[in-house]
Amino acid sequence: MEQDNIAIEVRNLKKYFKGKFETVKAVDDISFSVKKGELFGFLGPNGAGKTTTINILSGLLKPMEGTAIIGGYDVNSNLKKVKEQIGICPQEPAIFKFLNGRENIELFGNLHLMSKDVLKERTQNLLEKLDLLEASKRKTKGYSGGMIRRLNLIIALINDPQIAFLDEPTVGMDPRARRSTWEFIGALKNTNKTIILTTHYIEEAEALCDRVAIIDYGKLIELGSPKELMEKYEAENLEKVFMKITGRRIVEGI
Amino acid sequence: METQRIVALIKMELKKLIREPAHLFLMLLFPAVLTLTFGLAFSDPALGMSFDSMVPGLFAYACIFIIMTIAQSFTDDRAEGLLKRMNTTPLTSVEFIGSHIISNMIIATLQVIIVFILSILLGFSPNTSVIGVLLAFLIIALLSLSSVGLGLITASISKNSGTATGLSFIFILPQMFFGTFIPVTNSTRIIAMCLPSYYVTNALTSIFRGDSLLSVNKLIDFAFVSIVSIVIVIIGIQLFKKFGNK
Repeated sequence: MEQDNIAIEVRNLKKYFKGKFETVKAVDDISFSVKKGELFGFLGPNGAGKTTTINILSGLLKPMEGTAIIGGYDVNSNLKKVKEQIGICPQEPAIFKFLNGRENIELFGNLHLMSKDVLKERTQNLLEKLDLLEASKRKTKGYSGGMIRRLNLIIALINDPQIAFLDEPTVGMDPRARRSTWEFIGALKNTNKTIILTTHYIEEAEALCDRVAIIDYGKLIELGSPKELMEKYEAENLEKVFMKITGRRIVEGI
Repeated sequence: METQRIVALIKMELKKLIREPAHLFLMLLFPAVLTLTFGLAFSDPALGMSFDSMVPGLFAYACIFIIMTIAQSFTDDRAEGLLKRMNTTPLTSVEFIGSHIISNMIIATLQVIIVFILSILLGFSPNTSVIGVLLAFLIIALLSLSSVGLGLITASISKNSGTATGLSFIFILPQMFFGTFIPVTNSTRIIAMCLPSYYVTNALTSIFRGDSLLSVNKLIDFAFVSIVSIVIVIIGIQLFKKFGNK
């Protein structure tokens, strides 16, 4: 992979959490690269280490060992620059309930120092695309789970980030909303954004991702395009690939 | 430090004040109810305690409750993942804490305006000039700074909003009983002299009594409140950065 074409470079990343009785190896010596404009899937059961990896890449957690270069900047030494070019859609939606949808978006746009005009235009655009325009002036306290998820995604993308981390963006959405959100995420590829997507929906990864990394017990156990992996393991879908590799189903992690 | 970020967060905090009934009550209605209650209860001079002598304490009393709202607000925001989310933006901790200090100074000023107007309506007659009143507002703004700091300390050591509410009383109760309108005795003076609200009440009493605005005692009160408030805020910021934002 050419160095100029790399958006994310992860080398020997480690993060352990010390518990009362044992040490949990949440991320255990992971290395991978993501190309610019690539939609990169991160698959694994609950507790596999996906969110911990994303938290390290976005600067929320410090790695014990290893490095991650995001958009040319090291998360260990140049976090401010990293934060300027990323957008995060957290697994648990984090929005201010006493603000309306538009106010939430504008608050985060202001934290990214967006100009008033650009912020207004981009807010309008994203609200339209994710079908939240009508509800945008209502307090988010009254939003449905799916609406909150879509707002969560808009906030992640309001600063027009070059690299976006989408952690389970469609959990809790009804099938129709999930499908339209997949289309929206798929369309982001055309804007040359690099997207890291973690998901439990195997068909989501299959349909959207250029490449997927399968992670379990903190270790990266397989990496490739969905097609390559299905051919390699002679499986008809990614779910079966996952079963063959780990002996577990991806959704329940059992 | 970017003004755009600070202004956006101040606006958000003030919207919370207006839209969240619990905050609105504690921050603005509570001081009003307190002033009215004390004004009516101590309107008879035969009780031996005049309302005029209580007003300085009421000014400080309302501001002390900022400790609780700040602690609750931070623990709630932390539990809902909002602090983490803001931490993924280029927002700095100076901008974040700075916006809370400014928004709470605005709230403290609003509280003082409410208490002051209601006190006047209930017969309070301060013997001071406009500059004296402005000085009173300034010292309350300084007290709000220490309240923000104590709120940050409380949030840092509290796991959730319920704990924060309970723990905040560790800082609220001594300031309420030893530093505001309840007269201090020789035995409680030692405790009172460690509390910012005691010096604030002293300074306000002196201002409203009509003493010289540049008296040595008043300058000592101002200096003590300023230094203690700054020290408390610094401790609060350090503790919050280390433990409170996780």
